Formats: sequence, C-alpha cells, structure tokens
Amino acid sequence: MTNASSVVVTGTGAVCGAGMTPDAILDAITAGHSAIRPIAQWDTTGWPCRVAAEIPDFNPRALVDDRKLHKLIRRTDLVGLYAAGRAIDGSGIVGHRDALSADDAAVYSDRTGVYVGSGGGNYENQYDYFPLFAAAGGELPAFGRELANTVNPMWLLRTLPNNVLGHIGIKHGLKGSNACITNHSVGGTLAVIEACEALRNGEADRAVAVGHETPIEPQMVLYYHRLGLLATEVLRPFDARHDGSLFGEGAGALVLDTAASAAARNAPALGEILGGGYACEAQGLAAIRDDGDGLARAIVQALDGAHLAPADIGMIVAHANGTPQSDLSEAAAIRRVFGASIPPVTGFKWAIGHTIAAAGILEAALALTALARGIVPGIANLEELDPACAELPVSARAQTPRSKVALILGRGFAGTDAALVVRGA
Amino acid sequence: MNAKRRVAITGIGLVTPVGNDVSTTWDALLAGRSGGAEISLFDASGFPVHIAAEVKDFQDGDFVDRKQRKFANRSHRFALAAAEQAFRDAGLKPTADTATRWGCAVGAGMMTSDFGDLATTYAHSGADGELHADRLLSDPAANDPMVFCRSQATAGLSLLTRRYDIRGYATSVHTACASGGQALGTAMKLIRRGAVDYALAGGFDSMISPIGISGFCLLSALSPDNATPQRASRPFDATRNGFLLGEGAGFLVLEEWTAARRRGARIYAELAGDGNSLSSYRITDSPPDGDGPIQAMRAAIKDAGALPSDIDYLNAHGTSTGMNDRSETAATHAVFGDDVMRVNVSSTKSTMGHLIAAAGAVEVAVCALAIHRGEMPINANLVERDVDCNLNFVTGSPRRQRVRVAMSNSFGFGGSNSCVVVRHPAEVDGASNEGAEIRR
Repeated sequence: MTNASSVVVTGTGAVCGAGMTPDAILDAITAGHSAIRPIAQWDTTGWPCRVAAEIPDFNPRALVDDRKLHKLIRRTDLVGLYAAGRAIDGSGIVGHRDALSADDAAVYSDRTGVYVGSGGGNYENQYDYFPLFAAAGGELPAFGRELANTVNPMWLLRTLPNNVLGHIGIKHGLKGSNACITNHSVGGTLAVIEACEALRNGEADRAVAVGHETPIEPQMVLYYHRLGLLATEVLRPFDARHDGSLFGEGAGALVLDTAASAAARNAPALGEILGGGYACEAQGLAAIRDDGDGLARAIVQALDGAHLAPADIGMIVAHANGTPQSDLSEAAAIRRVFGASIPPVTGFKWAIGHTIAAAGILEAALALTALARGIVPGIANLEELDPACAELPVSARAQTPRSKVALILGRGFAGTDAALVVRGA
Repeated sequence: MNAKRRVAITGIGLVTPVGNDVSTTWDALLAGRSGGAEISLFDASGFPVHIAAEVKDFQDGDFVDRKQRKFANRSHRFALAAAEQAFRDAGLKPTADTATRWGCAVGAGMMTSDFGDLATTYAHSGADGELHADRLLSDPAANDPMVFCRSQATAGLSLLTRRYDIRGYATSVHTACASGGQALGTAMKLIRRGAVDYALAGGFDSMISPIGISGFCLLSALSPDNATPQRASRPFDATRNGFLLGEGAGFLVLEEWTAARRRGARIYAELAGDGNSLSSYRITDSPPDGDGPIQAMRAAIKDAGALPSDIDYLNAHGTSTGMNDRSETAATHAVFGDDVMRVNVSSTKSTMGHLIAAAGAVEVAVCALAIHRGEMPINANLVERDVDCNLNFVTGSPRRQRVRVAMSNSFGFGGSNSCVVVRHPAEVDGASNEGAEIRR
C-alpha cells in the first residue's frame, strides 16, 4: 500500500472462545484468562491433543438469527456472518443507506465492497457422504443411484468457501467489489489489505472485511499433530517451554471507509489502517525459513506503505503461535527490522488459540481495542523467555504502548507472511 | 498513479478437456470440437449424469517434479503443467535476483479430500454412515501428511511458489466459477500498484469425481444428456438444459509493460481491466435483469480506460443453464445498448465444458489468443437460438478479424461476478497514454 490516503475503521466485530465482542475478548485476555479448554465437540479420550479454544455453548441461533439459512451454511460461516453483522451494525452503513433515495441507495450498495478471508473447505463437511458410502456398500454405481435419497441436495452450497461473502451481500444488500481469499492464516489480513487497496484505488468507498474459521475437528487436529505443529497442553509463545500451537475458532470483522464516506454519516473513527505488507518464503506447505526473511520483508513493506519508521510503532501483536520454529524466526524478523529498539510485543493466541483464517483480522480488531485502552496486554502464561527470544520485550504483565500505532503480524501455510499497521483512536 | 503501470500478458499455458497445450486447445475451440464424453475416471454409470469433459491423455512427466508429485492431486498437476507451459512460452522465470518481485495469484477449486482418501477414511473410521472419531487415530489416510497437504486450499499455491521460487505476494482465492477471473484481476492490480513486477496467475480445478459430480447432480445444474455428451453444452440454445462439467488449468505470465517491451518479449495482449461485483440476489440463481453482472462489466471496461464501443469480442460466461444465459444476455444488452449486435460473442464452454475455478483464467487466455491471432472461436452447438438470447454469436466457423479489445465474463455461485478486459498491444503502443489517462 503506497498511497497515503486515509482508510478509517468505523465498525468492528469479533467472536471466539473468549467472548462475542472485541471488548469482552480483550477483558478476558487482560484478566489473564485463556479460553483453551478440553475439546467438547467429540470424545478426545486417548487423543494426543485434547484442548482448543472452542466457542462455549455454541448456539447457531445466537450467531445467525435466520434459521432457514442454517441448512445452507457451515459452522465457520455462522461465526463469519456473526462478526460481519456486528461490524456492519456498529458502522451504521446500512442504516445510512436505507435513508437515502432509491437511486442514491443503489449507488451506495454498488460502492460497498466485501472482502473475506475464508478457511476454504473442511473435513467434516465430507462426512455428509458417509451415509451414502454405507448405502452403496462400496459399489460406485450404487453410490450414484442412491445419491438423491441420501445426501442433502444443498450439500454443494454448504461446501462453498465463499458463503460468507455471498450471504453478507444478500443479507445487507451490498454489491460492490469483492474477494474471497482462501490463503490459510493470512487470509483475514489479506482481506483487510485488499479492501484498503480497493478504497484507495477508487473501486469502492467503503468495505466490509472479515476473516473466519472453525478448524477444531478431529481430522484437522490429527493432521496438525502429525506435522508436529500442536502443543500437548498449553500454547506458550516465546516461552522456553513452547512446544506448539493450539486451535481456536472464531471470526473478526472490520468496516473500512474512506474519510469522505465516514464523514458523510458522521461515523466516528475507531482507528485507521495505515499500511500492509506481504511476502512469501516459497519453502513448501508447512516449512518456514529460520531467519524470518519473508516476515521481515512484509514488515518493511508495511512500514514503507504507512510512511513510518520502526520507531513509530507503539506495539507489536506478534503471530506468536507457540511453535518453536515460528516463534524463533518471528523473533529474528522483528530483530532484523527493529534492531535494539523493539516496542512492547504481545500476542493473543495463548488465550484464544490459533483461529487460522480469522487470526489476522480478529487480532487487528483486538489491537484497536487495546490501543483505545492504552495497554499492551500481557502473555499471562509466559514464565521463562526462550533464550533465543531474549531481546523481545514480551511480558506476562500489561505494558504501555509507546505510540498509538500497532503492527499486527500473521504467518500461514505456503510460507506466507503478512503485516498490518493500524492507528488506534 | 496506478494508471502509469500497464500489465502485459507474455506467456500462456493451458490444460483443457480439448487439449493439453495452447495450440491443440485453440484448434479445437475454432472447430468447436467438444471435449464431452462418458466419464472414464470412475464408474459413473449409476449417477444421474455420467458425462463430463475430462482432460485426456494427460502426461505430467514433462511438467511435474517427481518429488512434488505426491503432494499434488489431479488439479494441482494440471496447474503445474499449465504454469510450466506459460513460463516456457514467456521465456522468463524467477531468478535469485527477481524472486521477491514475482507474485502469484491462483483460483483454486473447492474440493478438500480426494475421493479415494475419503473412501479410505470411511472404510477405516466410518460405520453405519457415521464417523467414529476414535478410529481416526489409527486411520492411514487421517495420519498421512501427504493426504493433508493435498487437501489444503493452499496446496496448489505452495507447489507453484516453491517450484518457481516466487517470493513476493502469493495468494489463493475462491469465488466458485469466478475464481480464475478474480485471480487474474488480483495479479493485475499487484503489478499496477508496484507490489510486484511479474506474476504467475491462473486457475485450476477438477471436480470430475464421485463427490464433485454428486454435488452438481444434487443441484440439477448439469445437463442430463448422457446419450449426447458432445451436444450437452449448448449455451444460448433454446434447448439448453444445464452445464457440462470440465476440468483443467490455465495460467498466464504477466509482466509490467515497459519491462516486457525492454526485453523484447512477445506480448499477446494487455491485461487491461478488472471489474467485480456481487449480485446479492440468491446463492445459485442469476438475477433475471442482469443486475450485478452489469456493474462488473461496466467496471472492467472503465478500469481498462476503454469504452463499450471498443469491445470487439466477448467470451461469455455462457454456462448453458437456462438462467445464466438469459441473465447474461440481459446484462450484455444493458452494457452495450444499441451497439450490442456489433459485439462478437461466444461461450467456449460449448466446447470445453465448465472448468469451474479454472474457467475464468482459461477464458481470459482465450481472449488474449483471439487478439493475438485475430480470430474468434465459435459458440458450438448453437442450433436454435433462445429468443431471449439475442446476441451476435460466432457460430458455424470462427470469425477472423482484428480484435482491439476483448472481455471475459465469469459469474460464480455465491454471487461474485468477475469481468476481465484485455487489449491488443498495438492499441496500447499506438494510443497516447494521456488519452488513456483521461478516459480512466
């Protein structure tokens, strides 16, 4: 992002194991509470990893009121639509549009974009075919013949990775530029970056950005465990005992406006998106470089786009996913860019788990909330810093940001690294 | 500021149901030789629809690194082959010096596990139609990291970026049938805004599997004309009754215009404009009046600094479903107005079938080739035109004329509409840049 024209945040939404608003989630984090608990969705007796940050008492009606819609979408879509709806409600864009003349309202809808970071497909969705496997007895012709008697006719629609995008559009009547980014853990961050570019480029005057994912399912847990990515019990970023990540489920959403669009409805700015950067390490699906090269390049790009120096950054919300390889290379990237003057560093995944496609944008919403409160929440379970991360100013206690600007980092499969720079209100 | 940087298409690679390279595919598109046939990839005889347009005689040995092969499913192998073709065609690949200036944007399919892996998991961990999660712990497919890698949404992206050492902005997108077009639009904007100078961009998909076919059968989206697979896809024909499922991949090598000119590259066309909208109507239905597609088409033309009167060829989305083709016709009339019968229109899905997430990318490649070769492929199987679909269709034989500007439409389930505009290189070099600036 090289253009300096302002993109303001006018609405935020978030849901995860720690709460259903950015404020409630940050309250839990600052109180030192982790939402990582024993998994409730299936019996994990004998499983190598038995904990994650599930949304407690998961209630589809509390997330999406329209019950007819529940048959057409998956769990991940419920959380995405919920967060987006909260951000849209908070921003006032729909109320403002509906007070316009019919012609002006149509233009307003056409000039409102929707950008989504989606986790893509999942495994449980495919188990809908298991009754058909049973009915077919291993014979493909019988599989074909029994299909219509056995599988929900709407199966493919439930499968669409772009359901949140389509249903935000339908529910709120938004019709502008759009994207559905299925790019693992950087999808949510890229949704923000691309929405900002659309605003700066004149493709849209405002946009809803959302990231959502509910990765806590048996096959996923097992695969991540086999790849050596999961902790046994506790996600402890940068700690000497860090031994892996843990899943969380959730979604985050931001409504972004050009300054003119926000001013037209007197919408208060909750913050500003100043810049974004992105790079790839090209090491394969799960491999990353030890030197943090991709992440360092992404941070430099984000700072350049924001016309800021490293010294201007007030706090860093690190990816901090708790795998030793990611933590150490992340520390290396931060050292490379910030040298001896690193601002306070924190992370949120120790408390809300790794929400994959939701992580970047959910954590950006939390960063804005933290900046508004003037605190850098602590990583409460940090006991002894890994010596290889020694220079990082992380703490179990809250710190004070050195400015109103936060840098949010994200890293995903395929060696992708993303950085976002935001200013708090 | 963005307007100063133009994007050149300098390499094309295709793996389609009518040819495993560009020239074979192109010959089939001109002749209207359908790729439709009885499904051979599995025993589909019991399915309501057992025809599709499969990629045939695909040998990936030339293109796919043996070590990468076990991480790649069928659609990823198509992607690797089409990407390699595009790089060879462009005569350019990332180097140690340029790797961070290369981007990658792909439209990837929506399928998760391969059918065989899912069947393995059912056999081991399923019983009475349900998953028994405890059995997964000893399930060979559920413990195989290769199975996991192949099933990830970023599997194709990671294979491509690793193979070619692409270290700039790399992304995977999915908006159903609009995916390929949106991937190209994304890549174009990355070069325009200076995030990268070069990009590999395209789409890949294969849903011709028991699960993929089932998904579309359940929605009654496919043509049930099992006895006549080569006639099954007949966009804009009064008797059309659904689409023909295809598979494949299309990739383009894109370069910043002046850099491409400096190295003396052969430029097929300028990747000139991208327009996106949401129909926000219904998840699978097309708005009858074309609302949604209209805005995307207009936005793409405007983004290209062009006027509707500049467009000589429209590669239609043209799925051969009742609804799409009527809606798209209405949108085309709204965009071109009185000038609409001047625009040559064909849906190459009539020949290739519907490549889903790859469709938009392959069809933009078709537009670039139409410009480069000065000929437009036919809308095959159009015998009795739907009275509600009154457009200037290329039928019978290909039309040979200079194509100044061409446009590709792709409209996806979920309501995302993607339109991409490409321009003849002589129209770029001949035009004064200032003139283009003013229009933009």
